[in-house]
Amino acid sequence: MKRNELLLVGVLATLIAGAAVLLPPIAEAQTESGVPVEYVDNTNGLETPTGSGWEEIQTATLPLSSAGADVPSANDVTVEQIQVKAVRTNSQIRIRMSWTDPTRDMSESSVREFDDNVAIQLPADGEEEPPIAMGSPENPVNIWYWSGSGNSEELLAGGPGTTTPVNESTLRTEQAYENGRWHVMFTRPLDPRGDARTTIPREATDLNIAFAVWNGSNMEVAGQKSASQWHRLAVSSGPPPYERFLWVVAGVMIVVTTLLTIEGIRRTGGE
Amino acid sequence: MSSHSSRNETVDLADGVDHQVAMVMDLNKCIGCQTCTIACKTNWTDSGGREYMYWNNVETKPGAGYPKDWEELGGGWDDEGEERTPGELPEQDDYGAPWDFNHEQIMYEGSDEPLRPMDDAADWAPNWDEDEGAGEYPNSYYFYLPRICNHCTHPSCVEACPRSALYKREEDGIVLVDQDRCRGYRYCVEGCPYKKVYYNAMKKKSEKCIFCYPRIEGEGPEGEVRGPACAEDCPPQLRMVGYLDDEDGPIHKLVNEYEVAVRLHPEFRTEPNVYYIPPFAPPTHTQAGESTDEEPPTHTQAGESTDEERIPREYLEELFGPQVHDALDTINRERERVRRGGESELMELLNSDRSEKYRLEVFNEA
Ligand code: SF4
Ligand code: SF4
Repeated sequence: MKRNELLLVGVLATLIAGAAVLLPPIAEAQTESGVPVEYVDNTNGLETPTGSGWEEIQTATLPLSSAGADVPSANDVTVEQIQVKAVRTNSQIRIRMSWTDPTRDMSESSVREFDDNVAIQLPADGEEEPPIAMGSPENPVNIWYWSGSGNSEELLAGGPGTTTPVNESTLRTEQAYENGRWHVMFTRPLDPRGDARTTIPREATDLNIAFAVWNGSNMEVAGQKSASQWHRLAVSSGPPPYERFLWVVAGVMIVVTTLLTIEGIRRTGGE
Repeated sequence: MSSHSSRNETVDLADGVDHQVAMVMDLNKCIGCQTCTIACKTNWTDSGGREYMYWNNVETKPGAGYPKDWEELGGGWDDEGEERTPGELPEQDDYGAPWDFNHEQIMYEGSDEPLRPMDDAADWAPNWDEDEGAGEYPNSYYFYLPRICNHCTHPSCVEACPRSALYKREEDGIVLVDQDRCRGYRYCVEGCPYKKVYYNAMKKKSEKCIFCYPRIEGEGPEGEVRGPACAEDCPPQLRMVGYLDDEDGPIHKLVNEYEVAVRLHPEFRTEPNVYYIPPFAPPTHTQAGESTDEEPPTHTQAGESTDEERIPREYLEELFGPQVHDALDTINRERERVRRGGESELMELLNSDRSEKYRLEVFNEA
């Protein structure tokens, strides 16, 4: 290799690497009435529902209204919107829901006491759009359910009134109540344990997702709930492209630098 | 509804039900001893979140009952019997919570006080208004009303549940809560106008009287078919247990032929299958007279018996509907007949012995 050529390769490699590092990350796709699921290497800062890491994650604000189910007082509901943030790692998805509720209801220990609840609804088969009211026998849904008095459940439903808990749920929930707001975090492995449970894909995919909230002190229960329509859960693929690109550049640079060094040593030694 | 024809009457059973269990309670015989309440409690509700529950309770009427003022809480059906009318959930305290006592002070803190409920603890309990009743001395009155789930033909508790967790058993119409399907929503508690479904906060499920179905299926003591414990243990044996559609049984005769056994609050339109022989009481007195032991009763000096009934008919009508008038008139007539030395099948039915009181094997396949 000529000395000039070597210099050129070096300069180019440095430029490319510098540009890749300095260019702003590729802007995340803005989702319209959707919930973006950002990829993260690890859940540092996202271990708890109020972890500082959540501040960096995009928020989707979704309107809620009465689900209009066939139960008394179905329209008497109180929660009007929910804020949702979601991330995934290579193995799990974590969704944090926040909403305003001035009363913290965590007990069902007497006949007129109801606790606060939140639930996520997903198609059992991720590509489908089941009927919004608890799916149908042909097109069932999964429900991920948190209750303020201490349970979390994964349920399967094929229409109103059919929710059934699945065996060996792998759903974990954690909650925090701060300044009149609930923050509830659901974590579940991407891969389901068992049939008829939603798989969260690893490649970029849109799934349907819906939410529901119950305010216990308003005696909201069952079909008396604030619910959303279907929204898109926009799962992003593996590490984002620019990150992979950086690794490629770094790889090239290592090779080039090694080559340059070897060539340099060879020349020095040869003169 | 399906109809089973009988001699003169038709027995309406709920759709899809082969036979219907039923109970007749003769209110004239109840002494308010609560043996039935305890029999039920020790069998079914002595622990595990059921402490406050009395699937069988006996309350004093007139009175607020158990839970307090349950008759005001709504539930049941509209006048056409088609639309459910949602009711209210009772306050937990209105069931009468177990009281706190001063055990701590006496046993550990050396207090010399007698054992007693803590301040304010004792302000309500089941049958708290025992024997208060109504009316002015010397014409005050009260009677006891034992209550269980009525295993209704048209049960609003079943209709109320959005998960169909409550159902009527096909073989005998007993109303049960499927514990696997129940998610503790409590629509049934609100929907039953008799407030005979209870919420178990430990299990987060609803629970209710099961008409002692293991006993009537022969799973009871010594593997024999037995009536519900509340009936079998009653000292005066005032309950008859059998099937409404057993045309040779006393229940069918009392309910459908003589029409002297009537439903509690028929206006709720759940069509209960527990029936009551309404209570009689001595007639009123003009003044502070005392009745003598003579037959028929007379009264000393100023106190004279009048024609007026001691328990006002209007009140009984409030409880048992307009049919109570004919029922009382029929019983009066038959009683008079016996007094005059005549015979009365009805009076014999009401005084029948044990073997006639429990007819639970009539529909068993041979
Ligand atoms: S009494 Fe109440 S709980 Fe029992 S069957 Fe009738 S409606 Fe249901
Ligand atoms: S056991 Fe019989 S007499 Fe005693 S309270 Fe019950 S129904 Fe009345």
